[in-house]
Amino acid sequence: MTIGHEAFTFVRELVRAESAIVLEPGKEYLVESRLVPLARQGGHKDVDAFVAELSTRRNPAAMRLVVEALTTNETSWFRDTDPFTALRQTVFPALAKTRSKREIRVWAAACSSGQEPYSILMTAQDTPELSGWKVDMLATDLSLEMLERARKGEYSQLEVNRGLPATTLVRHFERLGLGWRISPALAAQVQFRQLNLMRPFPAMGKFDVIFLRNVLIYFDLATKRDILRRVRQVLAPDGHLFLGAAEMTMGVDDAWERVPAGRSSVYRIREEQRTCVP
Amino acid sequence: MTLYSAPDQALLHAAVEQVWGSMLFEAADPWPADVPADFETGLQAHIEIRGGWNGRLLLTCNSDVAAQIAAALLGMGPDETVDELDVHDAVGEVLNVVGGSVKGAIDGAMTLGLPGVRASASPPSSEESLVVSWRGSPVHVQIVPDAEGL
Amino acid sequence: MRALIVDDSRAMRRIVGRILVDAGFEILEAGDGQEALDVLAAQGGDLPVLACVDWNMPVMDGLTFITQVRKQVEWRSITLMMVTTESEQDRIVRALAAGAHEYLIKPFTGDALVEKLDLLGLLPTTVGDHS
Repeated sequence: MTIGHEAFTFVRELVRAESAIVLEPGKEYLVESRLVPLARQGGHKDVDAFVAELSTRRNPAAMRLVVEALTTNETSWFRDTDPFTALRQTVFPALAKTRSKREIRVWAAACSSGQEPYSILMTAQDTPELSGWKVDMLATDLSLEMLERARKGEYSQLEVNRGLPATTLVRHFERLGLGWRISPALAAQVQFRQLNLMRPFPAMGKFDVIFLRNVLIYFDLATKRDILRRVRQVLAPDGHLFLGAAEMTMGVDDAWERVPAGRSSVYRIREEQRTCVP
Repeated sequence: MTLYSAPDQALLHAAVEQVWGSMLFEAADPWPADVPADFETGLQAHIEIRGGWNGRLLLTCNSDVAAQIAAALLGMGPDETVDELDVHDAVGEVLNVVGGSVKGAIDGAMTLGLPGVRASASPPSSEESLVVSWRGSPVHVQIVPDAEGL
Repeated sequence: MRALIVDDSRAMRRIVGRILVDAGFEILEAGDGQEALDVLAAQGGDLPVLACVDWNMPVMDGLTFITQVRKQVEWRSITLMMVTTESEQDRIVRALAAGAHEYLIKPFTGDALVEKLDLLGLLPTTVGDHS
């Protein structure tokens, strides 16, 4: 069953107040699926009952959990699989032909607890064309707490079960108490920095690949358009942008074109727009 | 510290929380210190750990708690009943997973035994027990190192 | 598609079984490695595509079972996944070396098992449909 209108409205207002993220109508399923674990932990019969109690008692700790559940990214390794296959088979080999300095710059723009930037680096190591190359990775997030987690690179048993092939686990992680820690060599390749996508970007040069997945869905149209315009300014003219599977540039910022890459697709700046980029 | 040389209560509690949260969909909050953790009669599950550290883990709880844990593990509704064999098996498996997690956090080559479960009427010695709350009832989890010289 | 679940815990067989049934599998069960070998032998040519195998079991453990399965040429098509609370790095390496294709550590969530099936190419639909 889906979350009721009243509960959805309460959650939408709460999240908007706390994070400036707008959950448009149609995001009921997202809200429902993210809140089911919280409702269950609290012993409620469903999400509606959980939200009803939240809206009457306004327990601050529970409210914070709700906001976090709806604003943090999912944390699977190689999330959605296809973009990483596209990186290895299409995007990285193409870049390897054109970057004479044998160096690639990648930006993970909403890195959450770090699974995405680390997955990108592991994919680069599995790309024969990039053997011996330097991969310069910038990982940013709005949440300082998430950045701290990502920087530490410590993951629970449950987290390393999510989407991480066993061969990759034993190659890139070591045991740490009950959980696992990313190998220091991999962690050393990532620079973590706090960044609010809604504000002007700091000076950070141009990137060959940008991952901006499942973030735009939370913003209104004007903000989406503004972010995509500014992303164009920090992407190399022949660079590649990855968005979430449910996101697109069409109707938001038409300077982008969608290009198939394996079973996935990437966004590239249209040829005629490349010269116009300041 | 990457790995432990011997299990302690913090490690055990973290392992229990992980299993409760992911397999039973319950929190494993510590039992409040000012409330007696009563135990009358129920089940005791045990599992051995061998290697750089030697000992056993014990999990003791009342019969109704054991039945609830089994029902939660099996995803059964509140009105469905779990037969006794399945209750023993489920509680043993819960301790097996806790034991495996704890064992994996200890340094060196270690082996885990097979879990066993039996009826128990003697309360566990409370000072050595980690007591966590299961829906308002106590569950005792203990680390019992082998006696010196054995 | 059929899957064989090898675990000495009935509860665990039911948990894994339910997730696999939801993913479109029919289930075979065995309580230890030897029983699992017997189940496979009884199938003739109509083999399960997947076996989910616990490590610590009475009679024959999961590592021995995997080693035995890999010795039989006619069982090469079976995808083998360890599903066990054994979680040390060297255990995982040993199981993979013995012929396991994947390794899922207990405790796990249903999503994690489904994602492993996806990695193994054993999911008829995409992971997104299950989340």
